[in-house]
Amino acid sequence: MFGLIGHSTSLAEADVATVRLGFPEYSGHGLDFWCGAPPLLADKVRVTSPTGNVIEGQYIDSCFLPEMLTNNRGKTAVRKVLNAMAQAQKCGLSITALGGFSSIVFENFNLSRMRQVRNVSLEFEKFTTGNTHTAYIICRQVEEMAERLNIELSKATVAVCGATGDIGSAVCRWMTSHADVEDLLLIARQRDRLETLQGELGRGKVVDLEEALPQADFIVWVASMPQGVQIDPKVLKKPCVIVDGGYPKNMSTQINHPDIYVLNGGIVEHTIGIESQIMQIIGMAEPARQIFACFAESMLLEFEKWHTNFSWNRNEITVEKMEKIGAASIKHGFLPLLPHTAA
Amino acid sequence: MTQLEATVAIDSIDYQSETYKDAYSRINAIVIEGEQEAYDNYLRLTDMLPDATDELKTLAKMEMRHKRGFMACGKNLKVTPDMAFAKEYFSELHGNFQRGAEEGDVVTCLLIQSLIIESFAIAAYNIYIPEADPFAKKITEGVVKDEYKHLNFGEQWLKANFDTVKEGLEKANRENLPLVWKMLNQVEEDAAELGMEKAALVEDFMIQYGDALGNIGFSMREVMKLSAMGLAGG
Repeated sequence: MFGLIGHSTSLAEADVATVRLGFPEYSGHGLDFWCGAPPLLADKVRVTSPTGNVIEGQYIDSCFLPEMLTNNRGKTAVRKVLNAMAQAQKCGLSITALGGFSSIVFENFNLSRMRQVRNVSLEFEKFTTGNTHTAYIICRQVEEMAERLNIELSKATVAVCGATGDIGSAVCRWMTSHADVEDLLLIARQRDRLETLQGELGRGKVVDLEEALPQADFIVWVASMPQGVQIDPKVLKKPCVIVDGGYPKNMSTQINHPDIYVLNGGIVEHTIGIESQIMQIIGMAEPARQIFACFAESMLLEFEKWHTNFSWNRNEITVEKMEKIGAASIKHGFLPLLPHTAA
Repeated sequence: MTQLEATVAIDSIDYQSETYKDAYSRINAIVIEGEQEAYDNYLRLTDMLPDATDELKTLAKMEMRHKRGFMACGKNLKVTPDMAFAKEYFSELHGNFQRGAEEGDVVTCLLIQSLIIESFAIAAYNIYIPEADPFAKKITEGVVKDEYKHLNFGEQWLKANFDTVKEGLEKANRENLPLVWKMLNQVEEDAAELGMEKAALVEDFMIQYGDALGNIGFSMREVMKLSAMGLAGG
Protein backbone atom coordinates (compact mmCIF):
# COMPACT_ATOMS: atom_id res chain seq x y z
CA MET A 1 0.00 0.00 0.00
CA PHE A 2 1.31 3.47 -0.89
CA GLY A 3 0.90 6.65 1.11
CA LEU A 4 0.38 10.33 0.40
CA ILE A 5 1.17 12.97 3.00
CA GLY A 6 -0.63 16.18 2.19
CA HIS A 7 -2.23 19.18 3.83
CA SER A 8 -4.69 21.98 3.16
CA THR A 9 -3.42 25.13 1.47
CA SER A 10 -4.84 27.47 4.10
CA LEU A 11 -6.73 27.59 7.36
CA ALA A 12 -9.93 28.52 5.50
CA GLU A 13 -9.53 25.52 3.18
CA ALA A 14 -8.81 23.21 6.09
CA ASP A 15 -12.15 24.17 7.64
CA VAL A 16 -14.00 23.35 4.42
CA ALA A 17 -12.06 20.12 3.85
CA THR A 18 -12.74 18.69 7.30
CA VAL A 19 -16.46 19.24 6.91
CA ARG A 20 -16.43 17.60 3.47
CA LEU A 21 -14.52 14.64 4.83
CA GLY A 22 -17.04 14.23 7.63
CA PHE A 23 -15.02 15.56 10.57
CA PRO A 24 -16.97 18.69 11.52
CA GLU A 25 -15.45 18.76 15.00
CA TYR A 26 -12.12 19.72 13.40
CA SER A 27 -13.64 22.71 11.63
CA GLY A 28 -14.08 26.33 12.67
CA HIS A 29 -11.11 26.68 14.99
CA GLY A 30 -8.10 28.93 14.74
CA LEU A 31 -4.50 28.14 13.85
CA ASP A 32 -3.75 27.04 17.44
CA PHE A 33 -6.15 24.13 17.07
CA TRP A 34 -4.31 22.91 13.96
CA CYS A 35 -0.97 23.31 15.70
CA GLY A 36 -2.12 20.70 18.22
CA ALA A 37 -3.98 18.41 15.82
CA PRO A 38 -2.53 14.94 15.15
CA PRO A 39 -2.05 13.56 11.62
CA LEU A 40 -5.36 12.37 10.19
CA LEU A 41 -5.87 9.21 8.17
CA ALA A 42 -8.17 11.17 5.92
CA ASP A 43 -9.06 8.85 3.06
CA LYS A 44 -8.24 5.76 1.04
CA VAL A 45 -7.09 6.08 -2.60
CA ARG A 46 -7.44 3.49 -5.37
CA VAL A 47 -5.75 3.64 -8.76
CA THR A 48 -6.09 1.33 -11.75
CA SER A 49 -3.26 1.23 -14.30
CA PRO A 50 -3.95 0.64 -18.01
CA THR A 51 -1.89 -2.52 -17.43
CA GLY A 52 -4.79 -3.78 -15.29
CA ASN A 53 -2.89 -3.47 -12.01
CA VAL A 54 -4.87 -1.99 -9.13
CA ILE A 55 -3.18 -0.41 -6.12
CA GLU A 56 -4.53 1.09 -2.92
CA GLY A 57 -3.16 3.84 -0.80
CA GLN A 58 -3.77 5.99 2.25
CA TYR A 59 -3.95 9.78 2.27
CA ILE A 60 -2.64 11.27 5.51
CA ASP A 61 -3.37 14.91 6.27
CA SER A 62 -0.43 16.11 8.34
CA CYS A 63 -2.56 19.03 9.63
CA PHE A 64 0.28 21.31 8.57
CA LEU A 65 -0.90 24.68 7.28
CA PRO A 66 1.21 27.20 5.32
CA GLU A 67 0.19 29.82 7.92
CA MET A 68 2.49 27.99 10.35
CA LEU A 69 5.47 29.15 8.30
CA THR A 70 4.28 32.74 7.99
CA ASN A 71 3.49 32.88 11.72
CA ASN A 72 6.93 31.78 12.82
CA ARG A 73 5.85 28.31 13.86
CA GLY A 74 8.70 26.44 12.23
CA LYS A 75 8.95 24.02 15.13
CA THR A 76 5.28 23.12 14.70
CA ALA A 77 5.77 22.61 10.95
CA VAL A 78 8.63 20.22 11.68
CA ARG A 79 6.50 18.28 14.17
CA LYS A 80 3.63 17.98 11.66
CA VAL A 81 5.83 16.46 8.98
CA LEU A 82 7.63 14.08 11.33
CA ASN A 83 4.41 12.93 13.00
CA ALA A 84 2.76 12.30 9.64
CA MET A 85 5.78 10.27 8.53
CA ALA A 86 5.67 8.25 11.76
CA GLN A 87 1.96 7.68 11.16
CA ALA A 88 2.63 6.44 7.62
CA GLN A 89 5.20 4.02 8.95
CA LYS A 90 2.87 2.79 11.72
CA CYS A 91 0.26 2.10 9.03
CA GLY A 92 2.80 -0.14 7.29
CA LEU A 93 2.80 1.88 4.06
CA SER A 94 5.45 0.67 1.61
CA ILE A 95 6.20 4.00 -0.01
CA THR A 96 4.87 7.43 0.89
CA ALA A 97 5.16 10.72 -1.00
CA LEU A 98 5.76 13.93 0.91
CA GLY A 99 3.36 16.30 -0.84
CA GLY A 100 2.89 20.08 -0.75
CA PHE A 101 5.16 21.76 1.76
CA SER A 102 6.06 18.47 3.47
CA SER A 103 9.17 17.79 1.41
CA ILE A 104 10.13 21.48 1.49
CA VAL A 105 9.89 21.51 5.28
CA PHE A 106 11.81 18.22 5.42
CA GLU A 107 14.59 19.62 3.28
CA ASN A 108 14.80 23.17 4.63
CA PHE A 109 14.72 22.16 8.27
CA ASN A 110 17.10 19.27 7.64
CA LEU A 111 14.81 16.67 9.19
CA SER A 112 17.05 13.79 8.19
CA ARG A 113 18.76 14.50 11.53
CA MET A 114 15.53 13.67 13.34
CA ARG A 115 15.04 10.02 12.61
CA GLN A 116 13.54 9.11 16.00
CA VAL A 117 9.90 10.15 16.49
CA ARG A 118 8.90 8.90 19.96
CA ASN A 119 9.06 5.10 19.69
CA VAL A 120 9.19 5.11 15.88
CA SER A 121 12.53 5.10 14.11
CA LEU A 122 11.84 6.57 10.68
CA GLU A 123 12.96 4.47 7.73
CA PHE A 124 13.64 7.13 5.13
CA GLU A 125 13.81 4.57 2.33
CA LYS A 126 10.01 4.31 2.67
CA PHE A 127 9.51 7.96 1.70
CA THR A 128 9.95 9.94 -1.48
CA THR A 129 9.72 13.65 -2.16
CA GLY A 130 8.20 12.84 -5.54
CA ASN A 131 10.36 15.58 -7.02
CA THR A 132 11.77 13.46 -9.86
CA HIS A 133 8.32 12.88 -11.31
CA THR A 134 7.31 16.50 -10.70
CA ALA A 135 10.41 17.74 -12.53
CA TYR A 136 9.81 15.29 -15.39
CA ILE A 137 6.17 16.38 -15.75
CA ILE A 138 7.07 20.08 -15.71
CA CYS A 139 9.62 19.47 -18.48
CA ARG A 140 7.06 17.53 -20.50
CA GLN A 141 4.57 20.39 -20.03
CA VAL A 142 7.14 22.79 -21.49
CA GLU A 143 7.91 20.44 -24.41
CA GLU A 144 4.30 19.76 -25.26
CA MET A 145 3.36 23.44 -25.11
CA ALA A 146 6.30 24.27 -27.36
CA GLU A 147 5.05 21.77 -29.90
CA ARG A 148 1.53 23.08 -29.67
CA LEU A 149 2.59 26.72 -30.15
CA ASN A 150 5.13 25.82 -32.84
CA ILE A 151 8.00 27.15 -30.80
CA GLU A 152 11.27 25.37 -31.40
CA LEU A 153 12.87 24.84 -28.03
CA SER A 154 16.30 25.00 -29.61
CA LYS A 155 15.49 28.61 -30.44
CA ALA A 156 13.64 29.41 -27.22
CA THR A 157 14.57 31.03 -23.94
CA VAL A 158 13.53 29.21 -20.80
CA ALA A 159 13.68 30.96 -17.43
CA VAL A 160 13.74 28.76 -14.35
CA CYS A 161 12.77 30.60 -11.19
CA GLY A 162 13.90 28.61 -8.20
CA ALA A 163 16.66 27.07 -10.31
CA THR A 164 18.81 25.90 -7.41
CA GLY A 165 16.05 23.92 -5.71
CA ASP A 166 15.65 20.19 -6.08
CA ILE A 167 13.01 20.43 -8.82
CA GLY A 168 14.48 23.57 -10.40
CA SER A 169 17.95 22.08 -10.83
CA ALA A 170 16.46 18.90 -12.32
CA VAL A 171 14.47 20.99 -14.81
CA CYS A 172 17.66 22.84 -15.73
CA ARG A 173 19.49 19.55 -16.34
CA TRP A 174 16.71 18.30 -18.61
CA MET A 175 16.48 21.61 -20.48
CA THR A 176 20.24 21.48 -21.03
CA SER A 177 20.83 17.91 -22.08
CA HIS A 178 17.45 16.72 -23.23
CA ALA A 179 15.60 19.71 -24.66
CA ASP A 180 18.70 21.68 -25.70
CA VAL A 181 17.06 25.09 -25.33
CA GLU A 182 18.78 28.11 -26.81
CA ASP A 183 18.99 30.13 -23.64
CA LEU A 184 18.53 29.06 -20.08
CA LEU A 185 18.01 31.82 -17.50
CA LEU A 186 18.76 30.82 -13.94
CA ILE A 187 16.97 32.67 -11.16
CA ALA A 188 17.21 32.04 -7.43
CA ARG A 189 17.93 33.90 -4.24
CA GLN A 190 21.40 32.61 -3.52
CA ARG A 191 24.01 33.71 -6.01
CA ASP A 192 26.67 31.22 -4.90
CA ARG A 193 24.34 28.29 -5.42
CA LEU A 194 23.37 29.65 -8.83
CA GLU A 195 27.00 29.85 -9.85
CA THR A 196 27.59 26.28 -8.70
CA LEU A 197 24.62 25.14 -10.79
CA GLN A 198 25.82 27.12 -13.78
CA GLY A 199 29.20 25.42 -13.43
CA GLU A 200 27.58 21.99 -13.26
CA LEU A 201 25.39 22.63 -16.31
CA GLY A 202 28.20 24.28 -18.27
CA ARG A 203 25.70 26.83 -19.51
CA GLY A 204 22.86 29.13 -18.46
CA LYS A 205 22.82 32.81 -17.49
CA VAL A 206 22.49 33.94 -13.91
CA VAL A 207 19.96 36.80 -13.97
CA ASP A 208 17.47 38.65 -11.76
CA LEU A 209 13.77 37.91 -12.11
CA GLU A 210 13.02 41.39 -13.50
CA GLU A 211 15.64 40.92 -16.18
CA ALA A 212 14.50 37.39 -17.06
CA LEU A 213 10.75 37.91 -17.41
CA PRO A 214 10.73 40.03 -20.63
CA GLN A 215 13.15 37.63 -22.38
CA ALA A 216 11.53 34.30 -21.65
CA ASP A 217 9.37 32.23 -23.99
CA PHE A 218 8.85 29.82 -21.12
CA ILE A 219 8.90 30.59 -17.43
CA VAL A 220 9.17 27.61 -15.14
CA TRP A 221 8.20 28.75 -11.66
CA VAL A 222 9.35 26.26 -9.06
CA ALA A 223 10.06 28.51 -6.09
CA SER A 224 7.85 27.72 -3.13
CA MET A 225 6.70 30.50 -0.92
CA PRO A 226 3.98 30.39 1.68
CA GLN A 227 2.33 33.53 0.29
CA GLY A 228 2.69 32.94 -3.46
CA VAL A 229 3.90 35.52 -5.98
CA GLN A 230 2.61 38.19 -8.35
CA ILE A 231 3.84 38.72 -11.91
CA ASP A 232 2.85 41.69 -14.07
CA PRO A 233 1.72 40.26 -17.46
CA LYS A 234 2.60 43.53 -19.23
CA VAL A 235 6.34 42.83 -18.98
CA LEU A 236 6.08 39.33 -20.46
CA LYS A 237 6.84 38.27 -24.03
CA LYS A 238 3.83 37.34 -26.17
CA PRO A 239 3.32 34.47 -26.51
CA CYS A 240 4.69 33.25 -23.23
CA VAL A 241 4.11 30.02 -21.36
CA ILE A 242 4.27 30.01 -17.59
CA VAL A 243 4.47 26.61 -15.94
CA ASP A 244 3.49 27.30 -12.35
CA GLY A 245 5.14 24.48 -10.49
CA GLY A 246 5.35 26.41 -7.25
CA TYR A 247 3.27 25.73 -4.24
CA PRO A 248 0.65 26.93 -3.63
CA LYS A 249 -0.37 27.71 -7.21
CA ASN A 250 -2.03 31.06 -7.78
CA MET A 251 -0.81 32.43 -11.12
CA SER A 252 -3.63 31.13 -13.27
CA THR A 253 -6.09 33.28 -11.35
CA GLN A 254 -3.87 36.37 -11.57
CA ILE A 255 -2.89 36.41 -15.22
CA ASN A 256 -5.53 36.70 -17.90
CA HIS A 257 -4.14 37.41 -21.36
CA PRO A 258 -4.83 35.51 -24.61
CA ASP A 259 -1.14 35.12 -25.46
CA ILE A 260 0.02 34.12 -22.01
CA TYR A 261 -0.56 30.49 -21.18
CA VAL A 262 -0.46 29.62 -17.51
CA LEU A 263 -0.29 25.92 -16.70
CA ASN A 264 -0.59 24.36 -13.30
CA GLY A 265 2.83 22.77 -13.28
CA GLY A 266 3.70 19.39 -11.91
CA ILE A 267 0.16 18.07 -12.19
CA VAL A 268 -0.83 14.92 -14.02
CA GLU A 269 -4.06 13.51 -15.31
CA HIS A 270 -4.79 9.85 -15.08
CA THR A 271 -6.31 8.20 -18.10
CA ILE A 272 -8.54 5.88 -16.09
CA GLY A 273 -9.20 7.78 -12.92
CA ILE A 274 -8.36 7.96 -9.24
CA GLU A 275 -10.91 6.84 -6.69
CA SER A 276 -10.75 9.12 -3.67
CA GLN A 277 -12.40 12.21 -2.22
CA ILE A 278 -9.04 13.72 -1.58
CA MET A 279 -8.26 15.28 -4.94
CA GLN A 280 -11.37 17.39 -4.55
CA ILE A 281 -10.28 18.43 -1.11
CA ILE A 282 -6.79 19.44 -2.20
CA GLY A 283 -8.18 21.68 -4.93
CA MET A 284 -7.76 19.72 -8.17
CA ALA A 285 -9.87 21.13 -11.01
CA GLU A 286 -10.86 17.64 -12.09
CA PRO A 287 -10.61 15.66 -8.88
CA ALA A 288 -11.44 12.27 -10.34
CA ARG A 289 -8.44 12.42 -12.69
CA GLN A 290 -5.91 15.02 -11.63
CA ILE A 291 -3.24 14.70 -9.01
CA PHE A 292 0.08 16.25 -8.03
CA ALA A 293 2.91 14.51 -9.86
CA CYS A 294 4.76 14.07 -6.56
CA PHE A 295 1.85 12.02 -5.22
CA ALA A 296 1.73 10.08 -8.48
CA GLU A 297 5.38 9.16 -7.94
CA SER A 298 4.52 7.05 -4.90
CA MET A 299 1.82 5.35 -7.01
CA LEU A 300 4.36 4.62 -9.73
CA LEU A 301 6.81 3.22 -7.20
CA GLU A 302 4.03 1.03 -5.83
CA PHE A 303 2.95 -0.14 -9.31
CA GLU A 304 6.54 -0.98 -10.20
CA LYS A 305 7.30 -2.32 -6.69
CA TRP A 306 10.28 0.04 -6.47
CA HIS A 307 9.84 0.45 -2.74
CA THR A 308 12.66 2.90 -2.30
CA ASN A 309 13.15 6.60 -1.74
CA PHE A 310 13.43 7.26 -5.45
CA SER A 311 13.61 11.04 -4.89
CA TRP A 312 15.64 11.95 -1.84
CA ASN A 313 18.22 14.52 -0.75
CA ARG A 314 18.70 17.80 -2.52
CA ASN A 315 19.89 18.18 -6.10
CA GLU A 316 20.43 14.52 -6.87
CA ILE A 317 17.82 14.18 -9.63
CA THR A 318 19.49 13.03 -12.82
CA VAL A 319 18.07 13.09 -16.34
CA GLU A 320 18.31 9.27 -16.34
CA LYS A 321 16.10 9.03 -13.26
CA MET A 322 13.63 11.44 -14.82
CA GLU A 323 13.51 9.26 -17.94
CA LYS A 324 13.00 6.15 -15.81
CA ILE A 325 10.10 7.58 -13.80
CA GLY A 326 8.77 9.13 -17.02
CA ALA A 327 8.56 5.74 -18.69
CA ALA A 328 6.69 4.34 -15.68
CA SER A 329 4.41 7.38 -15.73
CA ILE A 330 3.41 6.73 -19.35
CA LYS A 331 3.03 2.99 -18.74
CA HIS A 332 0.62 3.51 -15.85
CA GLY A 333 -1.55 6.10 -17.56
CA PHE A 334 -0.36 9.47 -16.27
CA LEU A 335 -0.31 12.44 -18.66
CA PRO A 336 1.07 15.95 -18.07
CA LEU A 337 -1.74 18.43 -17.51
CA LEU A 338 -2.17 20.68 -20.57
CA PRO A 339 -4.59 23.56 -21.25
CA HIS A 340 -7.05 21.56 -23.33
CA THR A 341 -7.54 19.15 -20.49
CA ALA A 342 -7.68 21.78 -17.77
CA ALA A 343 -11.07 22.86 -16.48
CA MET B 1 8.03 38.35 0.50
CA THR B 2 8.25 35.76 3.19
CA GLN B 3 10.56 32.91 2.39
CA LEU B 4 10.92 29.65 4.21
CA GLU B 5 13.34 30.01 7.04
CA ALA B 6 15.72 27.13 7.39
CA THR B 7 16.18 27.40 11.09
CA VAL B 8 14.14 26.53 14.13
CA ALA B 9 14.83 28.92 16.96
CA ILE B 10 16.14 27.00 19.94
CA ASP B 11 16.25 28.92 23.19
CA SER B 12 18.78 27.60 25.61
CA ILE B 13 17.30 26.80 29.00
CA ASP B 14 18.79 28.01 32.27
CA TYR B 15 17.90 25.16 34.63
CA GLN B 16 19.07 27.12 37.65
CA SER B 17 17.06 30.29 37.03
CA GLU B 18 14.44 31.13 39.62
CA THR B 19 11.67 31.23 37.01
CA TYR B 20 12.64 27.76 35.75
CA LYS B 21 12.79 26.32 39.25
CA ASP B 22 9.49 27.92 40.19
CA ALA B 23 7.76 26.32 37.17
CA TYR B 24 9.61 23.07 37.84
CA SER B 25 8.25 22.94 41.40
CA ARG B 26 4.76 22.50 40.01
CA ILE B 27 5.53 20.32 36.99
CA ASN B 28 7.79 18.04 39.04
CA ALA B 29 5.06 17.75 41.69
CA ILE B 30 2.50 16.83 39.03
CA VAL B 31 4.75 14.09 37.73
CA ILE B 32 5.45 12.73 41.24
CA GLU B 33 1.75 12.86 42.14
CA GLY B 34 0.83 11.31 38.79
CA GLU B 35 3.12 8.36 39.45
CA GLN B 36 1.71 8.01 42.98
CA GLU B 37 -1.86 8.07 41.61
CA ALA B 38 -0.85 5.46 39.04
CA TYR B 39 0.62 3.26 41.81
CA ASP B 40 -2.57 3.53 43.86
CA ASN B 41 -4.79 3.04 40.82
CA TYR B 42 -3.06 -0.15 39.65
CA LEU B 43 -3.31 -1.63 43.15
CA ARG B 44 -6.99 -0.66 43.29
CA LEU B 45 -7.53 -2.34 39.92
CA THR B 46 -6.44 -5.66 41.44
CA ASP B 47 -9.81 -5.72 43.28
CA MET B 48 -11.64 -5.45 39.96
CA LEU B 49 -9.33 -7.65 37.89
CA PRO B 50 -8.16 -10.34 40.32
CA ASP B 51 -6.84 -12.53 37.49
CA ALA B 52 -4.38 -9.80 36.56
CA THR B 53 -3.19 -9.17 40.12
CA ASP B 54 0.43 -10.14 39.52
CA GLU B 55 0.74 -8.03 36.40
CA LEU B 56 -0.97 -5.07 38.03
CA LYS B 57 1.32 -5.29 41.05
CA THR B 58 4.33 -5.31 38.73
CA LEU B 59 3.01 -2.20 36.97
CA ALA B 60 2.33 -0.53 40.31
CA LYS B 61 5.92 -1.23 41.42
CA MET B 62 7.24 0.37 38.25
CA GLU B 63 5.18 3.48 38.94
CA MET B 64 6.66 3.72 42.43
CA ARG B 65 10.14 3.44 40.94
CA HIS B 66 9.28 6.24 38.51
CA LYS B 67 8.03 8.38 41.36
CA ARG B 68 11.37 7.99 43.18
CA GLY B 69 13.22 8.84 39.97
CA PHE B 70 11.29 12.06 39.53
CA MET B 71 11.76 12.97 43.20
CA ALA B 72 15.48 12.65 42.56
CA CYS B 73 15.15 14.98 39.55
CA GLY B 74 13.64 17.65 41.80
CA LYS B 75 16.36 17.19 44.43
CA ASN B 76 19.01 17.40 41.74
CA LEU B 77 17.78 20.87 40.79
CA LYS B 78 17.23 21.75 44.48
CA VAL B 79 13.53 22.26 43.90
CA THR B 80 10.81 21.49 46.44
CA PRO B 81 7.82 20.06 44.61
CA ASP B 82 4.53 21.82 45.30
CA MET B 83 2.60 18.69 46.25
CA ALA B 84 -0.50 20.58 47.40
CA PHE B 85 -0.81 22.05 43.91
CA ALA B 86 -0.39 18.61 42.34
CA LYS B 87 -3.02 16.97 44.54
CA GLU B 88 -5.51 19.65 43.61
CA TYR B 89 -4.45 19.33 39.96
CA PHE B 90 -5.38 15.64 39.86
CA SER B 91 -8.43 15.92 42.13
CA GLU B 92 -11.17 15.69 39.49
CA LEU B 93 -9.59 12.79 37.64
CA HIS B 94 -8.80 11.16 40.98
CA GLY B 95 -12.43 11.59 42.07
CA ASN B 96 -13.73 10.04 38.88
CA PHE B 97 -11.41 7.04 39.27
CA GLN B 98 -12.46 6.53 42.88
CA ARG B 99 -16.14 6.75 41.97
CA GLY B 100 -15.59 4.25 39.15
CA ALA B 101 -13.78 1.88 41.51
CA GLU B 102 -16.56 2.08 44.10
CA GLU B 103 -19.09 1.23 41.43
CA GLY B 104 -16.94 -1.60 40.07
CA ASP B 105 -16.73 0.26 36.77
CA VAL B 106 -13.50 -1.23 35.45
CA VAL B 107 -13.96 0.41 32.03
CA THR B 108 -13.90 3.93 33.45
CA CYS B 109 -10.99 3.06 35.71
CA LEU B 110 -8.94 1.59 32.87
CA LEU B 111 -9.76 4.50 30.59
CA ILE B 112 -8.62 7.01 33.20
CA GLN B 113 -5.48 5.20 34.30
CA SER B 114 -4.31 3.05 31.43
CA LEU B 115 -5.35 5.26 28.55
CA ILE B 116 -5.64 8.89 29.66
CA ILE B 117 -2.98 9.11 32.35
CA GLU B 118 -0.52 6.88 30.52
CA SER B 119 -1.00 8.64 27.18
CA PHE B 120 -0.65 11.99 28.92
CA ALA B 121 2.53 10.78 30.62
CA ILE B 122 4.03 9.40 27.42
CA ALA B 123 3.25 12.61 25.52
CA ALA B 124 4.62 14.83 28.27
CA TYR B 125 7.77 12.77 28.80
CA ASN B 126 8.53 12.58 25.08
CA ILE B 127 8.15 16.34 24.70
CA TYR B 128 10.16 16.96 27.88
CA ILE B 129 13.15 14.71 27.09
CA PRO B 130 14.83 16.95 24.48
CA GLU B 131 14.42 19.96 26.81
CA ALA B 132 15.39 18.29 30.09
CA ASP B 133 18.53 18.77 32.17
CA PRO B 134 20.96 15.87 31.66
CA PHE B 135 20.04 14.14 34.95
CA ALA B 136 16.28 14.30 34.37
CA LYS B 137 16.73 13.36 30.74
CA LYS B 138 18.29 10.03 31.62
CA ILE B 139 15.63 9.23 34.22
CA THR B 140 12.76 10.22 31.94
CA GLU B 141 14.09 8.19 29.02
CA GLY B 142 13.99 5.10 31.22
CA VAL B 143 10.50 5.88 32.48
CA VAL B 144 8.94 6.45 29.08
CA LYS B 145 9.89 2.95 27.95
CA ASP B 146 7.95 1.49 30.89
CA GLU B 147 4.92 3.68 30.28
CA TYR B 148 4.34 2.08 26.89
CA LYS B 149 3.95 -1.26 28.71
CA HIS B 150 1.34 0.23 31.03
CA LEU B 151 -0.63 1.60 28.14
CA ASN B 152 -0.47 -1.80 26.54
CA PHE B 153 -2.01 -3.50 29.58
CA GLY B 154 -5.18 -1.40 29.39
CA GLU B 155 -5.34 -1.66 25.62
CA GLN B 156 -5.15 -5.44 25.69
CA TRP B 157 -7.85 -5.87 28.30
CA LEU B 158 -10.22 -3.41 26.65
CA LYS B 159 -9.54 -4.91 23.22
CA ALA B 160 -10.36 -8.40 24.47
CA ASN B 161 -13.68 -7.09 25.81
CA PHE B 162 -14.34 -4.46 23.13
CA ASP B 163 -17.94 -5.38 22.29
CA THR B 164 -19.09 -5.14 25.87
CA VAL B 165 -17.01 -2.10 26.86
CA LYS B 166 -17.41 0.11 23.77
CA GLU B 167 -20.32 2.17 25.07
CA GLY B 168 -18.77 2.45 28.50
CA LEU B 169 -15.55 3.74 26.97
CA GLU B 170 -17.41 6.36 24.96
CA LYS B 171 -19.20 7.55 28.08
CA ALA B 172 -16.02 7.56 30.17
CA ASN B 173 -14.20 9.40 27.38
CA ARG B 174 -16.93 12.05 27.28
CA GLU B 175 -16.69 12.57 31.02
CA ASN B 176 -12.94 12.49 31.43
CA LEU B 177 -11.16 13.69 28.30
CA PRO B 178 -12.29 17.32 28.71
CA LEU B 179 -10.52 17.25 32.09
CA VAL B 180 -7.24 16.58 30.28
CA TRP B 181 -7.57 19.72 28.15
CA LYS B 182 -8.41 21.69 31.29
CA MET B 183 -5.36 20.27 33.06
CA LEU B 184 -3.13 21.11 30.10
CA ASN B 185 -4.38 24.69 30.03
CA GLN B 186 -3.72 25.01 33.72
CA VAL B 187 0.00 24.33 33.31
CA GLU B 188 0.50 25.87 29.87
CA GLU B 189 2.80 28.63 31.14
CA ASP B 190 4.82 26.38 33.47
CA ALA B 191 5.27 23.80 30.72
CA ALA B 192 6.40 26.53 28.30
CA GLU B 193 8.99 27.64 30.86
CA LEU B 194 10.36 24.09 30.73
CA GLY B 195 10.48 24.25 26.92
CA MET B 196 7.30 22.25 26.38
CA GLU B 197 4.83 23.79 23.97
CA LYS B 198 1.12 23.22 24.69
CA ALA B 199 0.36 22.43 21.03
CA ALA B 200 3.07 19.76 21.03
CA LEU B 201 1.65 18.21 24.20
CA VAL B 202 -1.86 18.18 22.78
CA GLU B 203 -0.68 16.69 19.49
CA ASP B 204 1.41 13.98 21.09
CA PHE B 205 -1.36 13.13 23.53
CA MET B 206 -3.89 12.83 20.71
CA ILE B 207 -1.54 10.60 18.72
CA GLN B 208 -0.90 8.33 21.68
CA TYR B 209 -4.48 8.25 22.88
CA GLY B 210 -5.80 7.85 19.33
CA ASP B 211 -3.43 4.94 18.69
CA ALA B 212 -4.62 3.27 21.89
CA LEU B 213 -8.28 3.69 20.95
CA GLY B 214 -7.54 2.35 17.47
CA ASN B 215 -5.73 -0.67 18.91
CA ILE B 216 -8.70 -1.39 21.17
CA GLY B 217 -11.02 -1.57 18.19
CA PHE B 218 -12.49 1.84 17.41
CA SER B 219 -12.63 2.82 13.73
CA MET B 220 -10.50 5.64 12.42
CA ARG B 221 -13.50 7.98 12.33
CA GLU B 222 -14.54 7.04 15.85
CA VAL B 223 -10.99 7.65 17.06
CA MET B 224 -10.98 11.12 15.51
CA LYS B 225 -14.21 12.05 17.20
CA LEU B 226 -13.34 10.51 20.56
CA SER B 227 -9.84 11.93 20.81
CA ALA B 228 -11.00 15.47 19.95
CA MET B 229 -13.84 15.40 22.51
CA GLY B 230 -14.01 18.76 24.24
CA LEU B 231 -10.75 19.98 22.73
CA ALA B 232 -12.18 23.03 20.99
CA GLY B 233 -13.68 24.29 24.23
CA GLY B 234 -10.53 23.42 26.18
